[in-house]
Amino acid sequence: MTMRELYDRTKALFPLGELIEQRSGGNNDLVFVTVPAAHLRATILHLRDKEGFSHLVLLTAVDWLEEGQFQLTYLLNNRQQAYDLGLRVMISRDSATMESIHDVWPTAATYQRELREMFGIDFPGSPRIEEEFILEGWNDIPPYRRDFDTLKYAQEKFSERPGRKTHDPETHMRQQLYPDMSPTGK
Amino acid sequence: MSIKDVLSPFTAWKNLFRDPVSIRDPLNRAAAPRYRGFHQNDVAQCIGCGTCEDICQNGAIDMVPVEGIATKQGDSGLRPRIDYGRCCWCALCVDVCMTHSLSMSNVYTWVDGDPDAFRFTPGVDKKPWDDAALGYRRPEEHRLTGRVRAPMGEIEPAERIDSFAEIVDGYDVAEAQFEADRCVSCGLCVATCPTHMAIPQYIKAIRDGDYDLGVSLLYESNPFSGICGRVCTHKCETTCATRHEGEPIAIRWLKRHIMDQVSVDQIKRVLVKPTAPTGRKVAIVGAGPAGLTAAFDLAKQGHQVTVYEALDQPGGMTRWGIPEYRLPYDIIDQDVDIIRSVGVDIRCNARIGTDITLDQLKADHDAVLLGLGLQLGRATRIPGSEHADVRKAVDLLRLATAGEPIAGGTPREVVVIGGGNVAMDIARTLARLQQQAYGEVKVILTALEDRAHFLADPEEIKEAGEEGVIILDARGPQQVVVENGSVTGLKTWRVKAIFDEQGRFAPSYDEADAQFHPGSMVVEAIGQMTDASLLGDAMTEQLAWQRGRLQVDVGGRTSASWLWAAGDMVRGPDVVSAVADGHRVAASIHAALQEGIAK
Repeated sequence: MTMRELYDRTKALFPLGELIEQRSGGNNDLVFVTVPAAHLRATILHLRDKEGFSHLVLLTAVDWLEEGQFQLTYLLNNRQQAYDLGLRVMISRDSATMESIHDVWPTAATYQRELREMFGIDFPGSPRIEEEFILEGWNDIPPYRRDFDTLKYAQEKFSERPGRKTHDPETHMRQQLYPDMSPTGK
Repeated sequence: MSIKDVLSPFTAWKNLFRDPVSIRDPLNRAAAPRYRGFHQNDVAQCIGCGTCEDICQNGAIDMVPVEGIATKQGDSGLRPRIDYGRCCWCALCVDVCMTHSLSMSNVYTWVDGDPDAFRFTPGVDKKPWDDAALGYRRPEEHRLTGRVRAPMGEIEPAERIDSFAEIVDGYDVAEAQFEADRCVSCGLCVATCPTHMAIPQYIKAIRDGDYDLGVSLLYESNPFSGICGRVCTHKCETTCATRHEGEPIAIRWLKRHIMDQVSVDQIKRVLVKPTAPTGRKVAIVGAGPAGLTAAFDLAKQGHQVTVYEALDQPGGMTRWGIPEYRLPYDIIDQDVDIIRSVGVDIRCNARIGTDITLDQLKADHDAVLLGLGLQLGRATRIPGSEHADVRKAVDLLRLATAGEPIAGGTPREVVVIGGGNVAMDIARTLARLQQQAYGEVKVILTALEDRAHFLADPEEIKEAGEEGVIILDARGPQQVVVENGSVTGLKTWRVKAIFDEQGRFAPSYDEADAQFHPGSMVVEAIGQMTDASLLGDAMTEQLAWQRGRLQVDVGGRTSASWLWAAGDMVRGPDVVSAVADGHRVAASIHAALQEGIAK
């Protein structure tokens, strides 16, 4: 079985996007394909029960801020064939919510808790989804969202060691090279 | 409470006398080859652009002066100092580093009791991992800034050769934003610009689409922005940080883009308004970049400024020297119109010494500024060069601007002597005139320099070649050959060396390698000098001179307290340097007027 054959077979059943072969050369053992959110559960159940993708390697997200979307990536593994298949699901960034799959793979609950905390994506019904994961006492927007200003947060939350002083290159060069010259003639 | 609860805190004390359970690393393992450990910085490569500091999301980097590293063009002299109390080892600083100087060793184990020891300047404060071979180096595909310029559209050679239409298209908004996006806003270029324009700030204004801000920034330092946006020598681009990654930012074209995007009314609206009249009067001789820049500054400061121009239109060498295909006349008109709008009175056809005397200017004004420029072509003085068909490039360029014919008609075949931009300008102008008159180009350009040391800009050489100008390098002019009273061509020898062992100008030739270049006209384009005859004998005698140029102080004041001089006549030829000089001299005149000691 090649990934292409698997893709053609699965595409006959589910509305899959085009196949992206990530690892070229060799046996193309890492591919990605998009699937509508409403079809995710049916697709992974089919892949798990009929195609041997028995293992959820990871569940992660990408913030496509400009497009107003989050991309969820469910990376599945077929141990027998040593194939990895990533299912990509695009969801709206506003009040981002996705169906939980903790009943398909219990480990998904942990990933979903992390995504809820780091991206603010909700998975209603997922075990302990409301609990803090690693960010105890977090009171800002979720930090993996791209509109989170890391530098501003760092400057507000963490004190500087005393004695720090920086120099702006342009200003420093003026002081060193042309201190008396006013370019504007003012 | 059980007895165990009471005793257990004490039983824990016995652990004090046991060996620790933890063990020393038995393998003394090094980290993975690409582990992100303490930084390394090749401080000789680093240019102190501060881009690492800008990208750091933890505020862990300070740019600090380092003893023994001088601030110079293209290098701020600052180096990054890292606070490892804040560093999260993400390596964004390595990925963005413009010179590839910053990297990370794979060393991460270091124990010290002093927290301040973990704040140091890599490469300056010596560390054991400075020479570590392993660690995180930026992978080739990690490039956060673009290496290649937004391409500039140009009229093709075949289409432009019989026309004086402007060659360069200019950027549209999308192209300009693409180019502006490549700028890392380090500001190293500002020191290099003679008039220290706010380059990173106006490039940011392009990114933000704020052209009102952009043009007001341009006018803070350069009232010749339309002209400089097209013909500036753009020295700023030679110290741009992105040149270490690929092509430097097209700073000149971005300046032009702002000027192309705004209307004259828009510019006038954002200009700083003149202050209340001071009652002081300044006369400026010459309506070129230096004179008009000074006029612009002084008028805004409330002084009454009158500019006297001998020719019938203002602009100086930008109009009478630079061909139209590089700088269209309406661009000059626009820049001049804006300068007039702050109250500068420009009087053309007013030649000092003929129409008005210098004494009269002195009597009627509190200060007089000479911005005469370099309008006389230098002569080769080779045999035959006194012939009427041996012409000066500047004279012919002036005729071309005026639209007047060359006496005796456009030469069918011409030889140009010179390898600088003026030589290219006249060669390309004559090529166009020949194409228009005869349908073919016959221009030979002979330069003293060899190709590697050409004085003209590389794009000028390339474009002249594309237009059919034959460029011969390392040729020394020996004689203009005249037969039966007519010029028939130029004889040259091959140049062996231009300078002698002491570095003085003293060309030596291989006389065995002689060539004859046919032409009915020979054009000298080997440099210009100032026509200072308006000073008259008495003034010329009275003023202090240095190597043929008027001697001036840092503010451009001559040895006569009422007289200043600026621009090409004291600084040598360059538009943006003349603008800078205009500002400098205006500040000096303003200070003198305020003190009331101009006379």
